[in-house]
Amino acid sequence: MMPMRSILAAALLLLAAGCAQFTLVTPERQTVGGVISVAPGTKWNKITTPGVEGKVEVWTLDGPALNTLVFFTGVTDGEPLFTRRAAAASGEEKPPVFRSKMNPVEIQELLEATAARYFRTTIAEGRNLKAEPIAGGRGFRFETRLLGRDEVERAGVFVGTIRNGKLYGAWFQGAKLHYFERYLPEFDRLVSSAELVGEAAR
Amino acid sequence: MSLTRRAFGAGICGCVLAALARRGFAQARPVEPGRTYIAPGYRPPADSDEKGLWSLLDRVERERKTSRFLVRDVELNAYVREIVCRLAKDHCPDIRGYILRTAQFNASMAPNGMMEVWTGLLLRCNDEAQLAAILGHELGHYLRQHTLERWRDARNKSDFGAFLGLGLAVAGLGAVGQLADLALVASMFAFSRDQEREADEIGLDLITQAGYTPVAAAEVWEQFIAEYQAGTAERSRQLLFATHPEPEERLVALREAAAKRDGARGERGRSRYLAKLAGVRARLIADELALRQYGRTEIVFDRLLAQSPDDGQLWHAKGEVYRLRAGDGDAARALKAYETALGTGNAPPETWRSIMLVELGAGARDRAQAAFDAYLKQKPGAPDADALRMLLSQ
Repeated sequence: MMPMRSILAAALLLLAAGCAQFTLVTPERQTVGGVISVAPGTKWNKITTPGVEGKVEVWTLDGPALNTLVFFTGVTDGEPLFTRRAAAASGEEKPPVFRSKMNPVEIQELLEATAARYFRTTIAEGRNLKAEPIAGGRGFRFETRLLGRDEVERAGVFVGTIRNGKLYGAWFQGAKLHYFERYLPEFDRLVSSAELVGEAAR
Repeated sequence: MSLTRRAFGAGICGCVLAALARRGFAQARPVEPGRTYIAPGYRPPADSDEKGLWSLLDRVERERKTSRFLVRDVELNAYVREIVCRLAKDHCPDIRGYILRTAQFNASMAPNGMMEVWTGLLLRCNDEAQLAAILGHELGHYLRQHTLERWRDARNKSDFGAFLGLGLAVAGLGAVGQLADLALVASMFAFSRDQEREADEIGLDLITQAGYTPVAAAEVWEQFIAEYQAGTAERSRQLLFATHPEPEERLVALREAAAKRDGARGERGRSRYLAKLAGVRARLIADELALRQYGRTEIVFDRLLAQSPDDGQLWHAKGEVYRLRAGDGDAARALKAYETALGTGNAPPETWRSIMLVELGAGARDRAQAAFDAYLKQKPGAPDADALRMLLSQ
């Protein structure tokens, strides 16, 4: 039998891992991950110790339980979109990965599976996929719907583009009631301001 | 507060999977002959500690009733209830079953009579006898009040705070169905080895008395072991199979016990099982594919196909495993599976959509267009038609 002290220590460590820290993002042009430049219209909070791992940066307005904006800053072939922190060490199956030849339908399927795993749910769906210019080039957009174990319905929008085999994008999602729709115009404004910079622009 | 209740519920429900993931074994002792069961219609005395436990569980159950993960297919719920009642007999009115849309293999039973059946279990069973075997095992825990025994044991050891605290930690991580998290839970909440053995024996007795094939219990265990051995989570495999040989030992014990009960005789209920599941199976398959545990899922679909080689829905699902995995040679494997699906005459329209995506990936635009046309012909109002047109136009 695992000693009680070890169990409690493990539980505390896991709880600590779930604690996030924030830094203020001011409403002026920002560079995300050195590759995406955006001009937010309001104050955001960057989560400096997010519970996710991957080529991502995570912002929030009202706290991660209510809404998050996940930037994808150049996911390369063979990498997952994101994973739960220390997922592999905790014994989870290997995550689904991005392939540079994926088309937008397959990206949508990948986000569905990634979100289903992260939120540990069977209800994670994408819909209404359509083409949308992103950062001066060809891109796509689709809506998301997911229901986490807290049974809060979350609505979302993903926009993305593949340049030189890498995925760049942003996924804004939040509680459908209030916290998503209230800030959707801000997300759209932010996306319309997006430019690829640094190595992404080459 | 809801988190606390949920956590508590997670802690005290007996789990088939948790039994597998258990880290420690109690000292073995002989199972007593002539065991007594909880009385039908039993309610705990008003001033008892058990009454408090039941009150908490009743609140957990109220949440289950309104859960959006609850599968509300009337026919399927009536069917599972029918199986439970066939097994539980006089205890039937005391058991309330909830089918939850969760892709993992599991079922659980709380001491107040709340039973949970996860859809991953329904997808994996070959027939009614296999489902009955799992439900019988869970009923065994209920009839012998194993959870109450564990709960009192934990409290008597002054570990009750830890019991709740760990439950909270696990719930905070959203542990449902996650093997590693269950390992943590299991070390604290698991049934003892004797309790598991006793539940196995009671389960076998119940399915035999109900006229089901006794060997079904060993089969479902064997299937589960094969599936986990194909997983990619190394630590889980070690946890289950390297450090503890119990799953294999248990399999042997179940086979021997079934042989003593004239193992292969009895009812399978396969066609009835598939008919009752038909209304939800497409969703269950999609949920399984979303797990992206390709090796394990391939084993599940191969096993189901061995039973139903003319099932177009399953052949399409097998093709999807390869398409989504997208490794070397997977496009060809996927196309072959889709062609087989179409050959059965009962493939879902989405088979054509899948062919379109594979052909598009291979740069075969004409074949992709033809597959798209066939998809729309079979499913004129397809909600993703515009998205697929966009792909073809790029």
